[in-house]
Amino acid sequence: MITKDHSIAVPRPLGTAVERKRAFWSRHRREVLGGIVLLSPALLILTGLVIYPFVYAIWLSFSDKMVGTVAHFVGLKNFRYVITWPQFTAALYNTGVFTVVAVMCKFVLGMAVALVLNQQIRGRNFFRAFLLLPWVMPAFVVYLVWRWMYDPLQGLLNYAMLDLGLIQQPIAFLSTKETAMPSVIIAHVWRSFPFYAISFLAGMQTIPLELYEAAQVDGSSRWQQFRYITLPSLYHIIGVVVLLTTIWTANAFEPIYLLTGGGPSDATTVYTMLVYVMGMVNLRLGEAAAVSVLFLPLLIGLVLVVTGLLQRRNDNA
Amino acid sequence: MRDTLGSKVVTYGLLAVFVIMVAVPLFWMVTTAIKTNKELYEDFSYFPQRPTLENFVRVIVREKLLTNIRNSFSVSMITTLITVIVSSLAAYSIVRYRYPGREWIGRIILFKYLLPSAMLFVPLYVIVTALGLGNTQQGLILTYLTFTIPFCTWMLMGYFRGMPVELEEQAMVDGCTKIGAMLRILLPLSAPGLVASAIFSFTLAWNEFLLALVITMDQSTMTVPIKLSMMVVGDQYIWGQLMAGAVLASIPVGILYFIGQRFVVQGLAAGAVKS
Repeated sequence: MITKDHSIAVPRPLGTAVERKRAFWSRHRREVLGGIVLLSPALLILTGLVIYPFVYAIWLSFSDKMVGTVAHFVGLKNFRYVITWPQFTAALYNTGVFTVVAVMCKFVLGMAVALVLNQQIRGRNFFRAFLLLPWVMPAFVVYLVWRWMYDPLQGLLNYAMLDLGLIQQPIAFLSTKETAMPSVIIAHVWRSFPFYAISFLAGMQTIPLELYEAAQVDGSSRWQQFRYITLPSLYHIIGVVVLLTTIWTANAFEPIYLLTGGGPSDATTVYTMLVYVMGMVNLRLGEAAAVSVLFLPLLIGLVLVVTGLLQRRNDNA
Repeated sequence: MRDTLGSKVVTYGLLAVFVIMVAVPLFWMVTTAIKTNKELYEDFSYFPQRPTLENFVRVIVREKLLTNIRNSFSVSMITTLITVIVSSLAAYSIVRYRYPGREWIGRIILFKYLLPSAMLFVPLYVIVTALGLGNTQQGLILTYLTFTIPFCTWMLMGYFRGMPVELEEQAMVDGCTKIGAMLRILLPLSAPGLVASAIFSFTLAWNEFLLALVITMDQSTMTVPIKLSMMVVGDQYIWGQLMAGAVLASIPVGILYFIGQRFVVQGLAAGAVKS
């Protein structure tokens, strides 16, 4: 506030309209300026390393860029070329199968674990921490361990199954067309189910016990309690968790790269693997970018839905 | 809840199945690491007969894993340090300042947190190489910031929103500047949130695979995940050493998880389950 006359003992609480307006604007300007200064490091990184690469990826997909060459605009050539590949069709199919089956398995297993941990059991805190371990371990460690367990010559699974008489001869889990995808999915589900379990469990613990007591008085079965109390209370969490992990699963790279490398003969090639091989092994960056851009609309759709769900939740809180 | 004997049996039976399911791969990793090569490849046994640390010695001496552990450490530490500073400033700005467009910034940050790096690794590789940072730790750190900053900013935004604004207002009435209120009031009170975001960003960087695979090229810059994955294709009889390396790679995140379990579980659920 601008007060010219300092001799006045009590400053006027309200200046003229012009003064008040000016004071508001200077305060407002300081606020805006301060906010932007604090934000600027993050903004710089977001612009330079997220938005720019994002736009650049789209430009790459319309170019003939290779490692070490200058990019030229080639229109839709990459896209037309990419969609005729058998590998692209395989990647589309495999990404779909991997995502849908893995998410369903994680959901069922995660829900079962959460329901068990939600009971009055001894040492619940210990078991909760223990069952979270696969998710705490680095993913690459998990997949290396599973690769070793799947080993056709010295792997644990083959030894144990031969021992128990379940099989007559060792199975090459990861290099047989029929078993490769299920094996990859099992390893991935093992690593990821705890996220479901812990999220569902957190949700279940906010459900008031009175609801169950009332249901018991009414003589409802356990299944009815699950179906009409537990499940409806978890709808929001289920929605967020399923969509979030669908995004993660559809973009999984490590399980495929570390377990099968996409083989045998593209039986487990997902789209991230295809992008990697195209861009980093064959060095054809334009076509690699085209593959990711083709998957972009689906991904952005999913991300926007989850963004909406999370944002609403966060604003309400 | 009605606890009949039958339901107890089912509960504990299922619990046992889950515990075994989780325990077997962990057991196999640790026991493989302490078995001799003879036990691994000739006389199969479920339990180690003569526990030995030779695999650890070999992976450290022959494979020079300590170099990679040091690489992983410095990349993760620097990433974490930058992330916590940049994210807490950004989160404070978005939550406590009023200016046009801040909702949009918040939305873009969340959007990026959800958008996986698989979508961006090709252009990031080209950009990092063009900056002359290919095969360097600086290049790797730059790309790591693209996912640690959105994640931690989003987390801290939630945390700061939950802190009472009155304390900061009080400090400002007492003559503190807005920045001062953040430094003296909000950040000290948000220590648990800051610790959690540091743990997350360290873990994310420590575990990151795809970008490290694309950007680092040789032993002098390779992080642990890439080193171990390269060992798989190198030698048939590598598994003892590889599992020893896997154990070593899990220890830092294991310790962090143990220290910050409470925060981690909270933070883990924070995005999905906020009541």
